[in-house]
Amino acid sequence: MVRAFGIRLRGVDVLDLKLVRDLWAMLPQVATIALLIASGISVLVMSGSNYLALLQAMDDHYRNERFADAFASLKRAPLTLAERLRGIDGIGVVEPRISHRVRVIRADSEQSIAGRVLSIPARGQPQLNRLKLVSGRWIDPLHRDEVIINAAYAQARHVRPGDAIDVVLNGRMQAFRVAGIALSPEFVFATRSALPLPDDRNFVVLWAGREAVESAFDMTGAFNDAAMTLAPGARMEDVLGQVDDLLRPYGGIGAYGRAEQASHRFLEDELDEQRTMSVIMPAVFFGIAAFLLNVVLGRLVQAQREQIASLRALGYPTLPIAVHYFKLVTVIALLGGVAGLVLGWWFASVVIESYRPFFRFPVLEARMEPWIMIVAVAASVMVANVAAAGAVYRISRLPPAEALHPHAPGGPAALLRVGRHVGTLMPLRHLMGLRSIFGRPVRTALTIVGISLAVPLVLFGLFWFDAIAHMLDVSFNRIERGDGIVAFAAPVPRRALHELEAVPGVLFAEGQRSVAVRLVAGNRSYRTGLLGIAADAELRVQRDSDLNAIAVPASGVMMSRPLAERLGLAIGDEVRIEVMEGKRPVLLLPVERLSDDILGFTVTMEIGALNRAMREGPVVNSAALKIDAAREADVWRAIRRMPMVEASSSKAQWLGLFNDTIAGMLVVGAVILVGFGLTIAVGVVYNSARVALQERAWELASLRILGFTRGEAAGLLLGELAFCVAVAIPLGLALGHWLITLILSVRIGESFQIPAVISPPSYAWAALAVIFAALASALIVRRRVDALDLVAVLKTRD
Amino acid sequence: MQVAGKQAPNGDDSVGEGDPVFVARGLSKVYGSGEARVVALADIDLDIHAGEFLVLLGPSGSGKSTLLNILGGLDAPTSGSARWRDHELTGAGDAELTLYRREHVGFVFQFYNLIPSLTVRENVELVAQIADDPMSADDALGLVELTHRLDHFPAQLSGGEQQRVAVARAIVKRPDILLCDEPTGALDADTGRMVLAAIDKVNRDLGTTTVVITHNSAIAGMAHRVLRLSGGHIAGEDRNATRLPPGEIAW
Repeated sequence: MVRAFGIRLRGVDVLDLKLVRDLWAMLPQVATIALLIASGISVLVMSGSNYLALLQAMDDHYRNERFADAFASLKRAPLTLAERLRGIDGIGVVEPRISHRVRVIRADSEQSIAGRVLSIPARGQPQLNRLKLVSGRWIDPLHRDEVIINAAYAQARHVRPGDAIDVVLNGRMQAFRVAGIALSPEFVFATRSALPLPDDRNFVVLWAGREAVESAFDMTGAFNDAAMTLAPGARMEDVLGQVDDLLRPYGGIGAYGRAEQASHRFLEDELDEQRTMSVIMPAVFFGIAAFLLNVVLGRLVQAQREQIASLRALGYPTLPIAVHYFKLVTVIALLGGVAGLVLGWWFASVVIESYRPFFRFPVLEARMEPWIMIVAVAASVMVANVAAAGAVYRISRLPPAEALHPHAPGGPAALLRVGRHVGTLMPLRHLMGLRSIFGRPVRTALTIVGISLAVPLVLFGLFWFDAIAHMLDVSFNRIERGDGIVAFAAPVPRRALHELEAVPGVLFAEGQRSVAVRLVAGNRSYRTGLLGIAADAELRVQRDSDLNAIAVPASGVMMSRPLAERLGLAIGDEVRIEVMEGKRPVLLLPVERLSDDILGFTVTMEIGALNRAMREGPVVNSAALKIDAAREADVWRAIRRMPMVEASSSKAQWLGLFNDTIAGMLVVGAVILVGFGLTIAVGVVYNSARVALQERAWELASLRILGFTRGEAAGLLLGELAFCVAVAIPLGLALGHWLITLILSVRIGESFQIPAVISPPSYAWAALAVIFAALASALIVRRRVDALDLVAVLKTRD
Repeated sequence: MQVAGKQAPNGDDSVGEGDPVFVARGLSKVYGSGEARVVALADIDLDIHAGEFLVLLGPSGSGKSTLLNILGGLDAPTSGSARWRDHELTGAGDAELTLYRREHVGFVFQFYNLIPSLTVRENVELVAQIADDPMSADDALGLVELTHRLDHFPAQLSGGEQQRVAVARAIVKRPDILLCDEPTGALDADTGRMVLAAIDKVNRDLGTTTVVITHNSAIAGMAHRVLRLSGGHIAGEDRNATRLPPGEIAW
């Protein structure tokens, strides 16, 4: 026992020396494998941490600023009614306020800017939906012209405290001064449209002292909006029902919970998406990395079979040998783990940065979740050790004498079958390659699969550009066919469109009628806008998934397919439509057609039918415009001055904004994904080539002595890899297409649909990138073939 | 069997006359520097004539391998010059030396160095495929008296058989010079003699200039000429008046 112990101890010391030297000698291999691990870990760390960071930021903001649980809008009620609201069983705090749409005029903006004004107490914070001042101060009770504005707009338009802001309230222009700039839990995701993109430049939230808003809207002693919290244990549905009952006589248009609050709904959708992605992406990445780690490390150990056999022949028990290799792979896994944590943290910071324009939180910082770090590193160490254990086990099962002999690929009979007949038709060195490829089919298959896994990642990085281009094309060339939209402050007769068309540069104006509605199907509901358009509308054309135009039905509604799914509706089903403005009719209409929109959920119906349902004449409240591109700026300036126009937006400007906002995000994602794809390609190709070279150096050097050129010798080695790459690339492209389709299908963010559109150039670039990475790795190995020691071969036995 | 060679078949004692095909002057090879300096070859002058069977005899470290490597275009001397006919070997680049090996040199290794994934015939054809005017693989194998098991893989052959395949592989391209590095070093006496017989036959029938290095002095009897190397110098030179047939060599 003691002796055995002594041998083991001394042995471990020497083996550790071997460990350090092996690691040093295999540095490039160690580095590429560590990078592979780092890729998997970094995505795991990044995704997990970012999702939790968003969740944390939301929770903190909601708690600190006391975000309301429920909301209600009404026409007008005396403040005393707020007391009765407070009396409802299950209600906690009630914050009555005045909320109105306004618009802001700026000399440097051709369009008028849509806005919302909300009343706040002049002295101190409201009880709910408090503001988090980021600069400036609270409004001064003595200065009724002071407002606080939302940070997103302030940032987009470079507004600072002290700046003037011209607001049209109730049709009258009024000059305000910006006292402070703030964030609000109600406007984390501030958007005026149903589009999943913030339009910070063209939407502003103003918080003004109650007195100023009261007088502007003639609401003294009254309120038209309430934010509420629920008492612990209260049931949302019950409370909302009671609120509705109470507010109905005062023009209440339906109380709703957080789930239907615009900002929160977007946020939830985004978080759902993040949650899915934070599971899928790391699972895909880490799965790929783990698989490759297994393959590559297995080979690395396998390549040392003679050393292992020698040690065993010398009397080493299997365990210390296994431990030696466990140490080897653990060191590599830890190196990769640390690199992955650093990389992951860096990615997390970059990606969090790209969230900022979308999510306006007081604090949004990349977080390193310790448990994620530990899980990530532990998982990679485990995978590495499993790989090593497998390889050591396979070798230790062989008698040392057999393991000492060179690995005989396949059985001779099997080898003979490969190319026995083609042997006379092709140079024998190609036959050697073929035998090597098919003589070890498992190894070849693993190499092919390994390389092919690089392709989907590169493709996924490039795909986003295609998807966005497609989304923009469909949404803004095929669905929205006009050059801009104007929204009127109130419904106007159709003939008012002539006024728009009279503006020089306006080629054509197409009226639309949109109303705020609540769609109800069974126990599901969704608040959105119902859009009325003409059956032969040209500037707004709904499409099916093949992009064929679908006209609005003469009766009934057309609905976005995902919205119908969300509401559990199919064609022919009736949907209850509670209109939340005008005479507030409740309509029961069948779903006649489904459209495949990409951005937002839409419900459309024939405009005449909508007018009739609203018990109104032929009125419109928005118009799509076709504009002479050369005169666009003049057109918008003229339209801005029209009293009936509340807001306007230009497609060109919006697209510019979209590109600015989204481009950075896409590039970050693409760089990460492409980088990982290339890491995989290099990792697999380089390691395969190095192991093959290690195994065949003797053979290649012999051939060199026999007169084969460097190129011919390298060709033997690299030809096999070229074959693997050639098979792997189409496989990878197919895999990429499948994987992208799969990931998009499990994506549950519903505010916009990402089409699985991959352009031919993306396929080509993905293939080229992987070929390039393979080529670069091959060239590095080629240099080693060139440097083979020919003389040594004469005196060594394989 | 009738095999056409590039040179007149000769087994007589007229070999060694006329202009030498290989000329080395002042060849030195030094490895390392300072205290680690090892002189492998020191100022060697050597002429080898067409069709000659030359044995380089010496113990380990005598410099015979280094000399063979320079002859074969695998190593460059530290100083001096080496020339094969019109090929200047000293100072030649890798491409030139590769071409020289490819066109003129046949190698036989101590450990055979056959390609394990190719059969006997394919191993020989492999070299034939890169040669300008090779004989057929079957003819080359016939010369070394291997006519069966041609579709076997090296692992299925004995050491002696493998080495005869290696000889066939070396001569299939009709090399001008056959370099054998301890060709019997890994073989027992009986199989060794068979391999030597094959090499001898190539030399006699094809007239291929042959250089064999060995530490086995018994083999020296086969040669036209024997150079004894020691410590990097040529310590002695013998000419055999009569060459022993390989079958009579004993060790």
